Amino acid sequence: MEKLIETEDLYTNFFTFEGVVRALNGVSVVVNQGETYGLVGESGCGKSVTVRSMMRIVQEPGKIVGGKILLFLSSEDRQKGIDIIKRSEAFMESIRGDDISMIFQEASTSLNPVLSIRDQVGESFLLHRRGELLEETLKQLADELKSNGFPLAMAWKGFQRWLFRRELESLRRYEKHVKEIDRELYELEEKTDPRSTRRKSSLNARRDRLSEHDFLVSAVKKSPFLERYYKKIHKIVENKIIELLKSLGVPNPANVLKSYPHELSGGMQQRIVIAIALACNPTLLIADEPTSNLDVTIQAQIIELIKMLKENIITSVLFITHDLGLVAEVCERVTVMYAGDTCETTSVKELFKNPLHPYTKGLLSSVPRIEQVEKLHTIPGTVPNLINPPAGCRFHPRCPSAMKICAERKPPMVEYKEGHTVSCHLYPGEEV
Amino acid sequence: MSLLHYIIRRLLLMIVVLFGVTLLVFSIMMIIPPGQRVGIYVQHEKITPSQMEALIIKYGLRDPAPIQYLRWMANVLRGDFGHSVTASAPVSEGFKMYFPVTLELVLLATPLIIIVGIKLGMLGAIHKDRSIDHATRVFAIVGYSLPTFWLGLLLLMIFYGYFGIFPPGTISPDSKDVVFSAEFINFTGLLTLDAILNWRWDIFWDALYHLILPTINLILLNSALLMRLMRSSMLEALGQDFILTALAKGASKRIVYYKHARRNALIPAVTVAGVLFALLMGGMVITETIFARQGIGLWMARAALMLDVPAIMFNVLFLGTVFVTVNLIVDIIYAYIDPRIRLG
Ligand SMILES: Nc1ncnc2c1ncn2[C@@H]1O[C@H](COP(=O)(O)OP(=O)(O)OP(=O)(O)O)[C@@H](O)[C@H]1O
Ligand code: SF4
Ligand SMILES: [Mg+2]
Repeated sequence: MEKLIETEDLYTNFFTFEGVVRALNGVSVVVNQGETYGLVGESGCGKSVTVRSMMRIVQEPGKIVGGKILLFLSSEDRQKGIDIIKRSEAFMESIRGDDISMIFQEASTSLNPVLSIRDQVGESFLLHRRGELLEETLKQLADELKSNGFPLAMAWKGFQRWLFRRELESLRRYEKHVKEIDRELYELEEKTDPRSTRRKSSLNARRDRLSEHDFLVSAVKKSPFLERYYKKIHKIVENKIIELLKSLGVPNPANVLKSYPHELSGGMQQRIVIAIALACNPTLLIADEPTSNLDVTIQAQIIELIKMLKENIITSVLFITHDLGLVAEVCERVTVMYAGDTCETTSVKELFKNPLHPYTKGLLSSVPRIEQVEKLHTIPGTVPNLINPPAGCRFHPRCPSAMKICAERKPPMVEYKEGHTVSCHLYPGEEV
Repeated sequence: MSLLHYIIRRLLLMIVVLFGVTLLVFSIMMIIPPGQRVGIYVQHEKITPSQMEALIIKYGLRDPAPIQYLRWMANVLRGDFGHSVTASAPVSEGFKMYFPVTLELVLLATPLIIIVGIKLGMLGAIHKDRSIDHATRVFAIVGYSLPTFWLGLLLLMIFYGYFGIFPPGTISPDSKDVVFSAEFINFTGLLTLDAILNWRWDIFWDALYHLILPTINLILLNSALLMRLMRSSMLEALGQDFILTALAKGASKRIVYYKHARRNALIPAVTVAGVLFALLMGGMVITETIFARQGIGLWMARAALMLDVPAIMFNVLFLGTVFVTVNLIVDIIYAYIDPRIRLG
């Protein structure tokens, strides 16, 4: 299978007042093209931090301090991938929401309370699809200008066309520059000699500085009355949002459009969050516990929706949950995390049939089963404080099979068998 | 439509509140002896005790309080607030004389205070714990801790005393002659505005020139509170989940700050800005004293010292009106910024 995104030995810390929280301790995960991949673990084990690091949106005071995040997006860069940690912020902005999107744990707080649904969903289109929107508007305007009309109205339309053309030109110019820079960066990707490194950092800085600012267009956009010329674009965006919301099963989308988050139910809010993420048909959708705060029926609906989207629209899904039942239902491959460590990665079937890591075993035996007779098993102890995490294997204070070496050395990630990797001293072997 | 209903309802409510204020003001006034209260009705400087007694009887100042209240209210509703000793004129005349001076400064300073406070607060939050943030913090500490009179005198000393620019007062002597001459029409009482309406730009610039130092003084003293509030509410907004959503859809830092976070952060700042405006309307005693501006604050301070009852009563009523109005405006702005607030 071909990789889509991979993290290699990712370290992320939070530099808080109390001390450095070592949230990720060398996390390595791979999401392949076309699969639904699960990330499971107890609350606080670093699932959210992992995916936020993958999008480089870890909030203050968090910082990625080590490792690689390789992205294999277009067919041409499938071979080597791009290390996005080294790329500019502007590059990341072009990826986020377009190629990779994310939906969040709590829909109600994930939406901006003071912006309308139209503003929030429409923003995705305006950020990544402005070129197409402008072209569509220009086509409309051309038709309208062909017919006869009131001279003043025609002059106004002509003025609009002039501005839209100008904006489109400056956007295309900008895109061309960006493409050139990205191409050169891609060619330099694996070179590490001082000259290439210098060139890379200067290119990244240039990418950040580059803007498609057209003085006239932005002046008109900001001036009262004249700014109304942009309504045409907003109208087109509106239609696109309505279509999108319809496909996500939102009843009465034209009304929902005008409303604000607090006027919607939890399930509807989560659909809006999904709409924001799906606006630009991302390759990868990251779903960070999208259902854990919804009641069961709504939860089932949202899961169905995500499954349907996976089948029809999105290439890959990274699904985060602490619910092993959901993992079995939704995912194909899964990684178990504990306190910032990756414990084991394998297919879902294999995980339930043949768990290797003691933590995974503990997790599985703490899931209630219908035929359960004996008392439900729990893992003794609590998730460690990540300011002073246990040395070696972070699970060793709670592990029933802990050995002397466990407190001394971090176990390497070994391939126990084809497609099943585990990080535990019980399974010695070659680091992969 | 519902907004209009809401405003009408609030205006009606405002009348009730102001009625309460008159009751309160009147009760306080009843504490002082009748002889001092004669001023509500007539100019009572330099009169003999027997004349005074005659006046007290004439105006029934020893009648039961409710009757006196009704009588006073009848006058108030007719726009007759009595005679002010400190203004040497009827209260309404005094108000026309002092109020524009205050209003002019408040109208100039408040927007600037709001802009400076919000802008610096945003900068502090965006550049948290970096040098810009520290600089704004120093600015805030200076504004918080310096006494008004000290900062005002310091500014005067530096600019007027040392460099000889930005003199105190409202206008220079030459311009004063023009302003008081017949051909200069007083449309509003606001010097700058009247100067423009009379097409006398020299006077406009002169008046503005005199406004600069007190404005700076007010900005330094008053933007600090707004700034610190804006900084903390901005930081709070930036820590919310919806900021992550915005980042995840590819919005730039700029969009996140100025579109997603600022609007949320502005909500608490609106209240403070409103209160600030209302306070400045009546509370610039020291600024007006130092910069020799004959405004409401100065008048009130003098009225309080000389027990100029009619002037005090009027001003309490006036400030009550200002506060209630500002509150209404703040509520309307609230509803505009925050869709969760339903008016009506
Ligand atoms: N802003 C922050 N400041 C300090 N530490 C943080 C911050 N955010 C996360 N952490 C630390 O990172 C660790 C991992 O947090 P994360 O949110 O990724 O957990 P999670 O696996 O997503 O849990 P949950 O299931 O509750 O969402 C936590 O233990 C926490 O201590
Ligand atoms: S490495 Fe040691 S402590 Fe960690 S899970 Fe394996 S056996 Fe347990
Ligand atoms: Mg989480």
